[in-house]
Amino acid sequence: MASFVPSSVTLRTTLGLVALALLLLPFADIEITTVAPWRELGRLLQGLLTPDFTELDDLGTALLRTLAFAFTGVALGVAIGGLLALVFHHRLVRAGCAFVRAIHELFWALIFLQFFGLHPLTGVLAIALPYAGVFAKVYAEILDEADPLPKQVLPAGTGMLSTFLFARVPDAWPHLVSYTAYRLECGLRSSAVLGFIGMPTLGFYLQSSFAQGHYSEVGALLLLFYGLIATLRLWARPQLVPLYAVAAPFLLGSGLPIVWGNLTRFFTQDIVPAPLRNGEGWAALGQWLSDLLLTQALPGLWTTVVLTQIALVLTGGLALIAFPLISRHFTSRAGGVAGHTLLVVARSTPEYLLAYVLLQLWGPSMLPAIVALAIHNGGIIGHLVGRRSNELTLRPDASRGMNRYAFEVLPRLYGPFLALLFYRWEIIMRETAILGILGIATLGFYVDSAIQELRFDRALVLIVITALLNIGVDSLARALRRRLRLKHAASSEP
Amino acid sequence: MTVLSLDAAHASYGDKQVLGPLTIRVAQGEKVALVGHSGAGKSTLLGLLFDKRRHDMALMPQELGLVQTLSVFHNVYMGRLANRSTLYNLANLVRPLRHEVARVRDILAPLDMLDKLWAPAGELSGGQRQRTAVARALNQNAKVLLADEPVSALDGPRAEAIMLTLTQHFETTVIALHDVELALRHCDRIVGIKDGGIALDQPSHRLRADDLRFLYVAPSAAA
Amino acid sequence: MLKDKLRHLTLALLLLAPIATAAEPLVFTAIPDQDETRLRERFEKVADYLAEELDREVRFVPVKSYAAAVTAFRNNQVQLAWFGGLSGVQARQLVPGSEALAQGVEDAEFRTYFIAHRSAGLAPSDRLPKGLEGLTFTFGSKGSTSGRLMPEYYLRQRFDAPPSEIFDRVGFSGNHTRTIALVESGTYQAGALNYSVWESEVEAGRVDTDAVQVIWKTPPYADYQWTIRGDVDERFGDGFKRRIREALLNMKNPELLESFPREGFIPASNADYATIRETAQALDLID
Repeated sequence: MASFVPSSVTLRTTLGLVALALLLLPFADIEITTVAPWRELGRLLQGLLTPDFTELDDLGTALLRTLAFAFTGVALGVAIGGLLALVFHHRLVRAGCAFVRAIHELFWALIFLQFFGLHPLTGVLAIALPYAGVFAKVYAEILDEADPLPKQVLPAGTGMLSTFLFARVPDAWPHLVSYTAYRLECGLRSSAVLGFIGMPTLGFYLQSSFAQGHYSEVGALLLLFYGLIATLRLWARPQLVPLYAVAAPFLLGSGLPIVWGNLTRFFTQDIVPAPLRNGEGWAALGQWLSDLLLTQALPGLWTTVVLTQIALVLTGGLALIAFPLISRHFTSRAGGVAGHTLLVVARSTPEYLLAYVLLQLWGPSMLPAIVALAIHNGGIIGHLVGRRSNELTLRPDASRGMNRYAFEVLPRLYGPFLALLFYRWEIIMRETAILGILGIATLGFYVDSAIQELRFDRALVLIVITALLNIGVDSLARALRRRLRLKHAASSEP
Repeated sequence: MTVLSLDAAHASYGDKQVLGPLTIRVAQGEKVALVGHSGAGKSTLLGLLFDKRRHDMALMPQELGLVQTLSVFHNVYMGRLANRSTLYNLANLVRPLRHEVARVRDILAPLDMLDKLWAPAGELSGGQRQRTAVARALNQNAKVLLADEPVSALDGPRAEAIMLTLTQHFETTVIALHDVELALRHCDRIVGIKDGGIALDQPSHRLRADDLRFLYVAPSAAA
Repeated sequence: MLKDKLRHLTLALLLLAPIATAAEPLVFTAIPDQDETRLRERFEKVADYLAEELDREVRFVPVKSYAAAVTAFRNNQVQLAWFGGLSGVQARQLVPGSEALAQGVEDAEFRTYFIAHRSAGLAPSDRLPKGLEGLTFTFGSKGSTSGRLMPEYYLRQRFDAPPSEIFDRVGFSGNHTRTIALVESGTYQAGALNYSVWESEVEAGRVDTDAVQVIWKTPPYADYQWTIRGDVDERFGDGFKRRIREALLNMKNPELLESFPREGFIPASNADYATIRETAQALDLID
C-alpha cells in the first residue's frame, strides 16, 4: 500500500504523469471546430429523453444475441484461460497471453471476419481469445495469492490435483468468481460493441439508428443496455450462470455458412506482404515496410501516445471527483443511488458512442476522443474506488466534507486508485484503436484504413505494432506499480 | 529412537540470524513443550523441524492453515487427502460421502463442534477454528504432531481436554506453548527458547513454573 | 505437401458441414452507402423480385462497411452484390472470373457533388473553389467511389497536394447521408458525396438548404453496378448468370426503381470501370 512508501514517491509519480500530459498538450489537436452543432445535438438530447421502443421490431432478438455472444465468448475464455492459468509460468504461455490480450476485440473480429465472415464464430472468438489471455493472467495471479498455509499443512504425499483443488482453489474461489462476474459485464459491453462491425448484437442497431439520426431509437437501445448492465447482479445468479453458458451457444443465430477455404487463403495469401506475394523480392519488401512505418505506423504511434497520456490524466482526475458520488462516507442513500446510476451510464456507454456524440458537439479533433475515454474509464475507476471506500470504517468523530475527503479517505485510497489507473493505462491505449475508426488518426485509424482497402498485410503489421505498444505500456505500468509498491488485489483489476 | 533431530541448525531473516545454531533431538514417544516469550523463535524452530521430516507428521501452525471458504467437514477431511485417490477426494469435495462424514463427526463430537460441521471455516470464532485444526490433525494418519499454540484461544477446561487428547493421540508431540502450567502438566520434556537459542532443556517433573520465569523477563535486545 | 493436407482437411470439413443441397438460396449484399433503413427497404424488395424471377430463395444480407461487402463477396458467402465503382473493382480483382452484370442508367454518368456550409463563404462555381483550402472537410466512406475516390482525385488535380495538406482537418463520415448531416451541422465545413443521394434527400425535404449547398459538380464517371461471382453457373445451374442479368435488366417496377433511385438498368462490363481502377491505383487505394 502507499502508506509503506514515503508519500513523496507517489506524489512525484503523479506529478510526473500530469506534467507529461501537459507537455504533450500543445501537440494534441484539441480545437473546437463546430459551427452549428446545436440543432443536431438538440435532436439527440430530445431523442434520448423520449426513447421509442416501438420502431425496433428486432429488439428482442438483438438483446438475446448480445447475451448469447457475451456468455459463449466469456465461457470459452474462462475455459481456455483457466487451463492456461495452470501453466502460466511458462514464458511462452505468458508471452502468448500478453499478445492476444493486447489486441482489441474489435480488431480480432475484423480479422476473423476475413475468413469466417458473418458467422457467429467471428464474434465468439473475438471475445473468447483476448478474454482467455486476460483470464489466464488474472486467474494465475489470484491462485498465486491464495493462502499458502493450507497447502503446507496437508499430509505429505497428497496428490497434485487434490492439493490444487482443496488447498488452492477454494481459497481463491470467491476472487475467481467475482473477477469472472466482472468480466461478464465487460463481455456484455464487448458483445454489444461487436455489433458495430456487423455482428447481430445491440451495437448493430445502435450504430444504424445513430448513423441515421433516429435518436429516439438510440435512446431506447441505450436504456435497454444500461438496464441489462445495472441488473446484472439480479439475473446473473451464480447458480444460473452455468445454465446460461450452456444455453448461449444455441442462441447465437446462424449467420452465413463458413467457407473453410478462406481460412487457408487468409494465411497463405492475404497476410503475406504484397511485395513477396507478387514476387518482387526482398528489396521491395524493405521499401514496402519502411513506407508503411514512416507514413502510417509512426504518425499513428505518436497520436496514440499523445491521446493516451492526456486521456489517462483526465481519467484519473474524473475518477477522483466521481468516486465520492457512490461512497457512503459522502452521500446519503438517495444520493448514492443517483451516483450509481450516473456511474453505470458513464461506464456502460461504449466509448465509441461517447466519442461519436462529442464529435457532433466539438467537431473533428482529439478532444472528443480524450473526453470520451476519460468519461468511460473515469466511470469505471470511480466505481471501483468508491466501492473500496465503502469498505473503510472511519472513526465516528471523523471530520466531514472536504476535510474528510482530503485527510481521511483519499490518503487511504490513493494507492489502490493509482494501481487501478495504471491498469487502465494499457486499456485506454487499446481503446484509442476503436476511436481511430471514427477518424482520429491513431494506429487504429490506419488499421481500419488498411482493412477498408482490403490490405490485410498492412493491417497485420500495424496490428502487431499496436499490440507491441500495448505490451510496452503494460510493462511500464507494472514497473511503476512495483516501484510504488502498489500491492494489488488481482480481483479488482478492471 | 530419534524421530526428529536438528544439528547446528539456524534460521535467518534477511541478514539477521533469528535462530540457532542449535541442536535438538526428539525421541519416539516424547511429549516436548517449547516455551519462551513471543518472538523467541519457537515457531521458527517448529518450522525447521517440519522441513526436516514431513512424512508421517501432522502440523498445526499458529495461523492454522484452514481454507476459509471450505466447510469444517472439508477442512477436517483434508487430513486424509494423502490416503485417498484423487478421484475419491474430488468426489468428496463436490459431495461428501456418508461414511467420510460419519468419520469426521466422530472426531468432532468430543471437541463439541458437531453443530458447525457444514459451516465455512471463515465464519468460525477463534476457538472453533482452533478446534477444527485440531480435528484435522487428529484425522491425519500421523505419528508425530508439531503444533504451535494449539489451544491459545480456548478456555481452561477445554484447553486441558484438548491438550490431553493431542498428547494421547500422537505418539510423539512437539508443542509450542506460552502457558507454562499447561506445558508442565501435559508434556514430559520442556525446552525453553530464549534469544534464538535453547536456554533450558529438562524433563518436566524436575521443573516448577517458577523455574521457567526467567525465559519471559526482559528480552535482551529487541528480538 | 502442406497445402495438399490443408486442402484435404478443408474438404473433410466441408463434407462434415451440413449441406443444404435442396434449393440453395442466392445470397446478395450491397455497400452501406446511405441510411440502412432505406437500404433494407430497397434490397428486400429486390430480393422478393429476384426470388420470383429466378424461382429460388433469395436473401439480402446487410453489412456495416464497404470492405465487409467486398469480403463477403470474396469469401463466397454472397454471390451477387450491388457495389460502387471502387468496391466493384476491388471485388473483381479479388475474385477472378467475377463480372459486372448491370448498372443503373445514371451510373454510366455518375457525379460527385462538393457541398459546403454557408458559413464557409463558398459560392457555387464551375471550377473546384480554391477557397476550400484550410477548411475542415469530410469524405464519405474510406472505400467509396463518389465519396472518396473521385473527390480525392479532383482535389489532388486542382491543388496538387494530398487532402491532408489541403485541409485543416479531414474526416470520413461513413456514408453519404452522414456527410450531409455533418456539413449541415457545421461539424465539417465542406464535404463530398454521391449526387444521387444529395438530390433525393433534398427532394424529400430532409436537407436544410439554407445551411448547406452544392459548390461544385465533378465531370461524369462510371459508378454503381451489380457484380456476380464467376462460379454461379456451376453452383446454381447452367445459365444462372444469364437469368440474373435478364432479371436485373428487366426490372421495370417503378416503385422498385424509385427506391434506388435509378431509371432502369443497362448492361455493364468490367471494362467500363477501367478508369476507376486506374484512378484507384494512382491514389494508391489498390495495389
